[in-house]
Amino acid sequence: MNVVRIFLWPVVALSAASLWAQPSFTGPAPVPTVINDASLRRAAFLERRDEVVNWRALLAKPGEPATVGLAEIAAKLARREDAALCSERLIELMKTPSGDMFWMFPVTCISYLGRDQLTPAAKTAVREAWRTYMPLRGDTENHWVMYYMSLYLMTQLYPDDPGESWFNGKSSVEISRESRAWLLDWMRITTTIGQGEYDATHYIGEYVISMLFLATWAQEPEMRQRGQMMLDYILGDFAVDTLNGIYIGAHARTDDRQVLEKWNGLSSFFAWLFFGNCPPPAAYGGWGIYFAVVAQNYELPEVIYRIATDRDGPYTQFERKRTRHRWRNSDLRNAPVFKTTHVTADYAIGSDQGGLLQPIQQHSWDVTWAVPDPRGVHNTIFSVQPHYSTFELMMYFTEMPDYMPSSVTFQGKPTYTSDAKFLGGSPYEQIFQQDDALISLSDIPAGVNFEQINGFFSKDLTRLEEDDSGWIFVQGGRAYIAYRPLAPYEWRPLEGGGKRLYSPHRQNGTIIQVASESEFGSWDEFKTKIRVLPLQITREPKPRVAFTTLRGKRVEFAYDAEPRVDGRTIDRAKQWKLFEGPYLNADVGSQRLTMTHGRLRRILDFNTVTITNSVLPK
Amino acid sequence: MRIQTPFHPGVVVPWPIGGRLARLRTSLPVWAVLGLAVLSGRAAELKHDLYFCANLSGQKQVMGSRVTVPSGLYRSSDRQNVEHLGFSHIRLFSMTHDVRDPDTLFLATLDGVVRAKDRGRTWRIMTSWDMTEAKSIAFDPSAPEHVYAGLPDGIAVSHDRGQTWRRMQEGIRRAYTQAIAVDRTKAGRVLAGTEKGVYVTENGARTWTLVQPTAETVTDLQQSPHDPRVFFMTTTKDGAFLSKNGGSKWERVAGVPTEHTLHNVDFDPKNPNRLVVCGWGTGVLVSEDGGKTWIDRTAGLPKREIWSVVVDPDLPDRIYAAPYLDAVHASDDFGRTWRKLFFEQAIVFDMVFVPRK
Repeated sequence: MNVVRIFLWPVVALSAASLWAQPSFTGPAPVPTVINDASLRRAAFLERRDEVVNWRALLAKPGEPATVGLAEIAAKLARREDAALCSERLIELMKTPSGDMFWMFPVTCISYLGRDQLTPAAKTAVREAWRTYMPLRGDTENHWVMYYMSLYLMTQLYPDDPGESWFNGKSSVEISRESRAWLLDWMRITTTIGQGEYDATHYIGEYVISMLFLATWAQEPEMRQRGQMMLDYILGDFAVDTLNGIYIGAHARTDDRQVLEKWNGLSSFFAWLFFGNCPPPAAYGGWGIYFAVVAQNYELPEVIYRIATDRDGPYTQFERKRTRHRWRNSDLRNAPVFKTTHVTADYAIGSDQGGLLQPIQQHSWDVTWAVPDPRGVHNTIFSVQPHYSTFELMMYFTEMPDYMPSSVTFQGKPTYTSDAKFLGGSPYEQIFQQDDALISLSDIPAGVNFEQINGFFSKDLTRLEEDDSGWIFVQGGRAYIAYRPLAPYEWRPLEGGGKRLYSPHRQNGTIIQVASESEFGSWDEFKTKIRVLPLQITREPKPRVAFTTLRGKRVEFAYDAEPRVDGRTIDRAKQWKLFEGPYLNADVGSQRLTMTHGRLRRILDFNTVTITNSVLPK
Repeated sequence: MRIQTPFHPGVVVPWPIGGRLARLRTSLPVWAVLGLAVLSGRAAELKHDLYFCANLSGQKQVMGSRVTVPSGLYRSSDRQNVEHLGFSHIRLFSMTHDVRDPDTLFLATLDGVVRAKDRGRTWRIMTSWDMTEAKSIAFDPSAPEHVYAGLPDGIAVSHDRGQTWRRMQEGIRRAYTQAIAVDRTKAGRVLAGTEKGVYVTENGARTWTLVQPTAETVTDLQQSPHDPRVFFMTTTKDGAFLSKNGGSKWERVAGVPTEHTLHNVDFDPKNPNRLVVCGWGTGVLVSEDGGKTWIDRTAGLPKREIWSVVVDPDLPDRIYAAPYLDAVHASDDFGRTWRKLFFEQAIVFDMVFVPRK
């Protein structure tokens, strides 16, 4: 990727001068820039960190106690100001604790930030809340990491307390031992068969905040080191799957907003904070404050920074993840997820293999194109086979089946049962990606809730042409995109702009070929080259596609069969490593991740709990 | 059966005075109040307390939500008032009590197995991070140190009254376990209702054998209080099954629908011919001939989505039904007529009678 290398002092100075005038989420979008000087890079990071903390602290209005919540207290304690006010408010807030693990980690943060600032009465109020309020453990992995990290750190503050003094009736020693065991098990499983809530556009925050707290405050050196290593691990995984800070490709979880407006979520806070290559989301993503107040204790390794910002050219990153725990309807507790992400300077295309890999919020594939300012822009195209079922929910949740679908729609996932949805996986969708071409096939049984394909066509496409050949040619940014529906379709308008390709046919699918504008002399040339690509489509009895991509690869992909490329069968179960690509590499089961950029190499070895940095010879 | 039989019955202890937490009372029609007035005169005759495992936070409640009304464990000692006990908890699924001490309850919760001493007030999570989201729990009355818990990934067993736990599920495939029933006639004989059917152990969970496969998850397993050879089970969309030989052989129960999820079954402890079943879309079904025929007794309830149903062991013809997101209703004529009794917008996961000391 081409980047601008400039001397950045003027930028930093300008940023500092405007700090109080305008938060970055309403300011101009940053120009993607690589800061080569480590000290300047660090200074820019700390400027951004300070911006978050200062902004949040100023939300607390003098004489208006209601404006001082846990986040404002954390910000003020981080600035080492108004300790008396913080203590007073904390005593009040501890009278009505609520929020389970989302209460636990802010209170843990405040407890540590306030160790030498809070009044004894405030500390007592906090301590008492951990006896009288029972936060739930939760039912997803991000819940558990927050829960056990918080318990681990809180028991450090009160190491000898008896069971009667904690909500769960266990002693500090017991809680600490149990929490440590869970954290170690999570790290082990993540670094052997992959993360469960992988590449989650919001929940990345819950993981990295928890790991930062561990890296900062764990007294045990091993846990501190492991916290830092997991931070590196998750942020490295994030960095390689970004395009100018936007989280790209397949996600275990995203949401109805960010699946269209790709930038608009908590993940972009971390891209802004660490990479400086996109704006932060409004209010710094909400939870961002809890990272910011401790962020100075972590220094992003240069290799990760460069993976995110300083790329030599297009690359494909292969990753293996896992599903979250399956309780029913599966013989596998954690089924493998095979990801492919192809990234260029102008666009990215990423995918998993389809199927029900996560409940409700799975996003299986998309194309994302680069834009100068991503705010308000729907810079993506993809299709889904809309699906919801008690089968899916029973697989991933342990509750009685029938009430779950409607309940989900009341719990922050309003489109779960909608036929027009763009979010979620389907058991009737199978996907294969080769470079920047992708084939998605659907074989939808009769009688399921939605017998259709939904294609998302953004309001921000600059061209959209339905070609007599059957291809739909579109342009987004500098990306030329050829979209081929396998079955007839019609258009449905979308609230907020753009339109939905609605294809009500059970044997169905989508073929995508993406290229950069710069590869062609003209738009017409792109279309001509796509039209002549060899393509065979069969829909009955099961969909099958044979397609020679723009890159000259002959891909044969049939529903319920392994894909073939140039006559060679692709066995993803055997071939996909935990990470494989120019930047991140790890074998399944290895607990050892190698991050490489140019001559920089950083190895995270969880077997020995060591980090090895090296500079490769020229 | 949802009556918990005490191991050492017959000891009467004074009733502790009130709880420190919420007391709720529903607004009742005049006729119901009059009925309750009669009932209250009989309160002293009640030999059991009625416990509820209830979520009162409504459909929007997820992890991290603000608590508006305490959920979790409620007790009614007079069938008129309910008292909240212990912590608020939106995922308390079922409960039992220590067979040697009815004042010590064991709760199957999202967080694992919770022991609630002092008649539900003092909680301790007894299991660790690797045994969570418990669905069911049962003591072995013939081996009262032994406790069994059904987990979404297997079965946990304690041999020291819940103090320590280990997994014991050898032989079980697809280990999701919603229901546990201990055969009261033989120590160490336990039935487990799983995703793929009913398993039995004869040796305290060392080994398990599939005795009845099912197409869908077994949701409840109950042993008849009248004939210990009789067991009844419900499933999600595979109907109900009856066993007359201690759970070794099962027959599908005609007249109970297979197109809906059945949530639970209960025997009438006073009448061996009467059973009641409920479920999602099923409403309340009653049999008065030992399960041969079934009558729909949903009329009078606000909806057909019924989460749980239970027969009162102390009051003749009294049954309770818990419609989804609604009040717990009571009937004094075995389901012919119903009236609101407790709560308003409740999901009542379980209703359990515990004998007084």
